[in-house]
Amino acid sequence: MTITASIRQGIPVNNARTNSRVGGAFVALVLTLALVVSACSSGSSDAKAEPGTKASGHTIAVPADHPSIQAAVDAAAPGDLILVSPGVYNESVNITTAGVTLRGTDRNTVILDGEFKLENGVRVLGANNVTVQNMTARNYTNNAFFWTGVRGYHGSYLTSYRTGNYGIYAFDSVDGQFDHSFASGSPDAGFYIGQCFPCNAAIVDSIAEYNGLGYSGTNSGGNLVIARSEFRFNRAGIVPNSGSYELCYPERDTTIVGNLVHDNSQPDTPAIDVAKLAMGNGIILPGGYNNLILRNQVWNHERVGIALVPFPEDGPKDDIPTGDELTIPCSEARNLPLADKASLPGTVLWDPVGNRVEGNTVSSSGIADLAFGTLAGSGDPLDNCFTGNTFSTSAPSSIETTMACSSPSGSWTNTLDLVALIASARPDSGDYKVQPVPPAQPNMPDATTAPGQPAVNLPAKIDLDSIPLPAKP
Amino acid sequence: MTPGVNAPNASRASHHLGAMTQGVMVVLLVTMAIIVATVAPSLRADASVTGFQSIVQGTVPQFVVRCAFSHSSTDDPIVFPGDPGASHRHDFFGNRTANAFSTPDSMLGTDTSCQQALDTAAYWSPTLFDHGVPVVPQGADVYYRPGPRIDPASVKPYPHGLVMISGDAMAMEPQSTKFVGWACGSGGDPQVDAPICPPDAPLRLKIVFPDCWDGKNLDSDDHHSHMAASVAGHCPSGHPVPVPQLQLTVRYPIHGEGHDLNLAPGSMLGGHADFMNAWDQAELASQVKLCLNRALVCGVISNKAEDVDRPLPSRS
Repeated sequence: MTITASIRQGIPVNNARTNSRVGGAFVALVLTLALVVSACSSGSSDAKAEPGTKASGHTIAVPADHPSIQAAVDAAAPGDLILVSPGVYNESVNITTAGVTLRGTDRNTVILDGEFKLENGVRVLGANNVTVQNMTARNYTNNAFFWTGVRGYHGSYLTSYRTGNYGIYAFDSVDGQFDHSFASGSPDAGFYIGQCFPCNAAIVDSIAEYNGLGYSGTNSGGNLVIARSEFRFNRAGIVPNSGSYELCYPERDTTIVGNLVHDNSQPDTPAIDVAKLAMGNGIILPGGYNNLILRNQVWNHERVGIALVPFPEDGPKDDIPTGDELTIPCSEARNLPLADKASLPGTVLWDPVGNRVEGNTVSSSGIADLAFGTLAGSGDPLDNCFTGNTFSTSAPSSIETTMACSSPSGSWTNTLDLVALIASARPDSGDYKVQPVPPAQPNMPDATTAPGQPAVNLPAKIDLDSIPLPAKP
Repeated sequence: MTPGVNAPNASRASHHLGAMTQGVMVVLLVTMAIIVATVAPSLRADASVTGFQSIVQGTVPQFVVRCAFSHSSTDDPIVFPGDPGASHRHDFFGNRTANAFSTPDSMLGTDTSCQQALDTAAYWSPTLFDHGVPVVPQGADVYYRPGPRIDPASVKPYPHGLVMISGDAMAMEPQSTKFVGWACGSGGDPQVDAPICPPDAPLRLKIVFPDCWDGKNLDSDDHHSHMAASVAGHCPSGHPVPVPQLQLTVRYPIHGEGHDLNLAPGSMLGGHADFMNAWDQAELASQVKLCLNRALVCGVISNKAEDVDRPLPSRS
């Protein structure tokens, strides 16, 4: 990423460096910046005025008022509640109205079914503050529940299974939460939050199983919390990563706390290639920056319980951001010019940087309970550290001494054989269409009587310090 | 400014700048118009025509379709309709029934190799040979985007039955890499010559189709002239209708040294691809309206899903 004083497509890309511009142009820029700033702040101060941030009190029933969910959605005004009665709905629902709440009266019997012909169960397209809750989506060739380009989103008490890409998915979206949800049988990730910084988002009290990856998020972070959830029987458990092939690199500032992560060596799940490569790892951070991995219970992995590793990117679109560039919000970073193509190496190596692994209990890992690996050579000051974990094996050995948080730049020897870690043959992808059907899941309280709940003030406040190391079930 | 809402290009600029700076925008537009007007027409065709977009995915609105390889044949339903075996060999993606007798109507509602079951359009490209043996493609990725700097809200769906070809099968000289080229991996920019690719970013043929339509003809005698590429964010007057800029990326399991590659027309310079619109038309129109017109990223094809033969490069 290159910060310059250039104006790209007429947009001031760097406030500080536009100072050199003088006269009328400078005044215009200042005015523009003022407008931009005021528009930015309107999200909080003028939230009441924005349509869809408050429930309207109006309820549309499916099928009583409209035979299809899409017809009800199309008839809805901002803030309306669409309440869907039990049934199998062969629909692909697109929501473009802000602040709609789409809710099933019963999570397990209100079922969207794509019959392996339709792409997405519910797609929220640029509509802010949309809540989807208490229903199931299955058998879609792409995703079950998908938000893109929104501010404010909420997926709650959702079940997704047998989907061709992701289960429950937010892209290029901020200020959201997934909770009490269950995602199974996707070749990519059960849960995915990608391309956002700061994301201001959380995944809590949820379960992912039989996916290629339990959680994945490329280039996401910034007040992003994954907590009190269970990641089991996936190829790999929690796998956020960095890469310049999508915007807002690197992945960073994600807190993974108080989760149960176990048995993520499942050989028969559907799996994209990266899931095959990552197979057998509980929590693995390829190229992550400044993440906190706290008080997770991690066990039964063919390879590594918690691993910090590099992500090599061939044919990168840009170079790796450094220094102040790492704090630029995604909304601005997208306007920055890319590095000169000729200056880019054929491969960039996204090393794990500044991650802290603390207070986890990790056991029964085939290669190591805790591991750090880099191709950068021994002793590079990447500022990753390990402390206060309960474990029996690590690579490098004595990891809490050689990479202690009190002296993160200490000298250590890179003993994790990265090639062996991911190079051996892995089972081919299983068929997502035949993955296990999840058992019935809990319903949200008062589904039939609760008013509409536009997705505002999310994620809910969460006291990270109060989340304990969970016991094995 | 709306954080998280992806409104790129012209619309993003106006979004950011707001009403007070519209005057500045007008000045910019006038300046651009002057620049365009002062460029000689021939130069304009070469230099300012916009094609391949070297961007990070997520920067511009798009929807994507991932298709498996369907079948190969020496048919070409656009160039040699009703004449099976008349063409050089092609690899077909999308519609599984595509053959010399196919028409947009005959393909509607039939089976597709694409993940999007309602994309029953046909896409085809010349077969790649390695040491004289046909290379079976791993599949094709199809990107639908507004053309470069085209107002996303102005993009219309292709009409049912539109056909088009991009690239020249008979080219004896390098074609513009704005429309035809070879690359490594999903992120690589097109080049005239097939590069030697690393295992985790194998060879691709990338074909960008023209993004402006004449608004009248579903086809033309040369199968090209009813379409044109946009210039500096605008469709030319003879082809005033902005349609999605389609990019077909054909993925081959080819990397490393030791290959002797050739394309079916007889030269590696003859890269091209054909498209016959037999989408479920309502679905295509819906995707254009919901994703492109609203300036949203409705999906990405990330190199996270690249077909990888070897996971880690050595670092020397």
